[in-house]
Amino acid sequence: MSTQTVRGAGLEQRSVNRDGFGPSGPSLRIRVRFHGRGGQGVKTAGRILGTGAFLSGYHCQDFPVYGAERRGAPVASFARIGNRPIDERGVISEPDLILVADATLLDDPAAGVLAGNEAASALFLNGNPDAPLPDLGNRLHLIRWDLTGAAIGRLGRAGALSAGLGAAAARFVGIVAEEQLVEAIRSEFTHLGLSTGEVDANVAFGLDVFRALPTVSFRDVAETEEGLGDSVVPMIPADPLAGGPNVISPGNATLRDTGAWRLERPVIDRDRCTRCGLCLIRCPDGAISWDEEGLPVIDEQHCKGCLICRQICPIHGIGLEEEARP
Amino acid sequence: MTRTMLTGNAAAAWGARLAEACYVPAFPITPQTEIIETLAGWFADGSMRGRFVTLDSEHSMMTAAGAAAAAGVRTFAATSSQGLLYAMEVLYTVAGWRVPFVLVNVSRGLSAPITLGPDHNDVLAARDSGFIQLHAETCQEVLDSILMAYRIAEDDRVSVPVLVNLDGFFLSFTREPVELPDPEEVRRFLAAPESRPPGFSASRPAARGVAVLEGPTYSYFRYQLHLAVEQARVVHEEAAEEFERRFGRRHGMIDGYQLDDAETVLIMAGSFATKGRAAVDRWRAEGRRVGLLRLRMIRPWPTAELAAALSGRKAVAVLDQDLAPGLGGILFQEVAAVLARCPVRPSILRSFVGGLGGKEISRAEFDHVLQVTEQAGPNEGPVGPVLLMTAREAEQVGQRLRIAGHVPEEALP
Repeated sequence: MSTQTVRGAGLEQRSVNRDGFGPSGPSLRIRVRFHGRGGQGVKTAGRILGTGAFLSGYHCQDFPVYGAERRGAPVASFARIGNRPIDERGVISEPDLILVADATLLDDPAAGVLAGNEAASALFLNGNPDAPLPDLGNRLHLIRWDLTGAAIGRLGRAGALSAGLGAAAARFVGIVAEEQLVEAIRSEFTHLGLSTGEVDANVAFGLDVFRALPTVSFRDVAETEEGLGDSVVPMIPADPLAGGPNVISPGNATLRDTGAWRLERPVIDRDRCTRCGLCLIRCPDGAISWDEEGLPVIDEQHCKGCLICRQICPIHGIGLEEEARP
Repeated sequence: MTRTMLTGNAAAAWGARLAEACYVPAFPITPQTEIIETLAGWFADGSMRGRFVTLDSEHSMMTAAGAAAAAGVRTFAATSSQGLLYAMEVLYTVAGWRVPFVLVNVSRGLSAPITLGPDHNDVLAARDSGFIQLHAETCQEVLDSILMAYRIAEDDRVSVPVLVNLDGFFLSFTREPVELPDPEEVRRFLAAPESRPPGFSASRPAARGVAVLEGPTYSYFRYQLHLAVEQARVVHEEAAEEFERRFGRRHGMIDGYQLDDAETVLIMAGSFATKGRAAVDRWRAEGRRVGLLRLRMIRPWPTAELAAALSGRKAVAVLDQDLAPGLGGILFQEVAAVLARCPVRPSILRSFVGGLGGKEISRAEFDHVLQVTEQAGPNEGPVGPVLLMTAREAEQVGQRLRIAGHVPEEALP
C-alpha cells in the first residue's frame, strides 16, 4: 500500500494510507447531525469533527446548511465519517448521532431536531440533565450534559459552544484521538482568526468535554441506510393558485414562534419612555406596537432579539436581559 | 503536494490562485460568496497578485472579465443562479469576442419561487452562449477542472471562455479532502500568465469584438465560434492526458462507472452522481447489470463518446436536475438526439427529473428510476418526465400548502 504526505492549511505533516485510507476492518459509516441556533457554532462544531476525522486518516465530509437565517434562528450542520469513500451527499435525514446545542429547539417543529430520530443510535442534549423531556423515542444512548455551563466556566460566554460540541461528537464517535482533536480545534479557530488566548481557551474547553463524556456504540451501517421504505408519488396539475407559490391564508406568520430565536431580550423602561415611537418604526419584524396607554409594547412571540430598538432609543431607555434556557 | 479539507468554494478559489489569475471582477451571490471572500482575502494579504475589483452587478462583472481577457490578462470570475442570468447578455457577447477566461457557476435553482438550493437550470440556460461547460462532481474536481479550463480556453485552437459548474451546498459548502497540486507543476501545466500575448498595446491601435452588420460575415463569425468550441474536444483530451501525467488524476468528457457489461445505463451530471454510484453499487450487489454515465463536459456536447458508450445497451435512463417547462429534462433531450446516431440503439429511453432546488434524491427514488426503466416496454413513446418526489416529501409539501391556505388534496396524492 502506498502512503502519502499530507499537510493541510496550518496542519502538521502526517502519513496516511492512500488505498485503504483509514483503519481497515468492518465497514464504518457514521452520520452526524448538529442542531443549534445561529451563533452557537454548529458549523464550526461540524468542521472540528470533520477535521478531527481527516487528521485521524478517515474519509469524511462536513457540511452546514444556510438559509436566510440570522443569529438565533435554527441552523444545522452535518458530518459523515467512514473507512471507505463517502458515497453520499447533502443533508442527513437519518443520522446515527444527533447533537442538540439548544434544548429549546425540541419545541420548534421547523427545526426538525428529531427528524429521522428512529434511526439515530445516540442523542446528545445540551441543557439541564434534570429538566423534563418530551418522548424522544427508542435509541441506544441518550446523553444529557450541561455544555453551556462548561462553556461559561472556560470561556466566560454561554453562546460559544463549537469547541465543546465538536469535542463531544468526536468523543461519541470514538475514532478521533485527543491529539487530533486538539489539532482540529486549533486549526478551525485559527482559521476563524481568533487570538492565541482564545484558541487555547477553546482547546481547554474541548478537552474538558472530551474527557468527561463516553464513547457510544452505533447500529450497523446496513440498518441505517437512508430513504428506506419510501415511495415515489405521481404529480397531477393543481389550480393556478395552489400550483404557484402563493399564500392565501392571512396572518399565518403568527404560527411561527420566532421569539424562540432570541438569545437576549430587550426590556423597555416604561417609566422613562417618551413615546417617540422610534423603536416601533425601526423594528424590522413589526414586533412593537402601542398599548392602551400609548407606550410601546414588545410582542414576545415574534421579537427575535436583534436589539435595534435598544440602539435606536434616543434616551437609552431599553435594557437587555439574557434569555433563560432550560 | 498538500492534502487538506476544502469546501467546493475554497477549491474553486484555490483553482484561481494556482492558475495565477491576476484579474478578478467580483459580485457576490449566495452560494458563491465564499469564493469571492476567499479571493479578496488573498489579494489583500498578497497571496495573489493583480487586481481584485468589486463591480455593481454581474452584468458589469462579465463585461469587465471579457475586457480584461481581451487585454491578455488571465481572468477569473464566479457567479450563481440569477446572477448568471443577469450576466447572460454579456455571456453571449464575450464568447463572441473569442476571449479566454474561466467563469465558475455555483448552481442554484432559479426564481420563482426563490430558493438557495441547487439545480442545473441556471447553468444550462448558458449552454448555447458559446462558453465551454465542465460540470464537477467533487471538490477535487472543481479545482482540477478550473486548471484544465484555463488550459483549454487559452489554447489557440479554442480561445473561448470556459464555465466550470459546481453544485451549491452539495459542493459549495461541503468540505472534503482535496489535494492541492504543487504550484510549480501547475505553472508547467499552464502557460505562464505573463507569456500570454498582450491583447492591446498603446502603440498599436486595434479593435476587438467589432460590429458586423451584414449577415454573411455574422454567419461566418458565429460558425467559427461553433468550430472553436468543437475543437475543445481534442484540446480537452490532450489536457486530460497531461493533467493525469502531472497530477495523477484523469478527468474525461464523460465519466463511466460499472459500464463494461451494463445493460441499463443511468445518466446524471454533477455532485449527485456520487449518490448514483452508491445506487449502482447496491443494484450490482443484487446482480443487476446497471452502470452510471456522468456528463462532465456539456459543451461541446460529447456526442461521439455518448454514442459509443450507449450503443448496444438495453435501456437508458436520464436523471435531469433541471426542467424545461413544456419539454421536460434538458439533458434527456440532448441524449435522445445522440441516440438517433447510434448504430445499435437502446430500445428503452426514460426521463426523470429529480433534485430540483436542492431536493434530496433518496434511495427510494433511485430504485424507482431503475424499476420504471426496467419495466418499460421497448419503443414505447416518450413518457414523462417523471418527477421524483417521495410520499414523505409530498406530505411535507401538503403541510406547507395547508398553512398557506390551500386545500391541496386534488394536487397531491
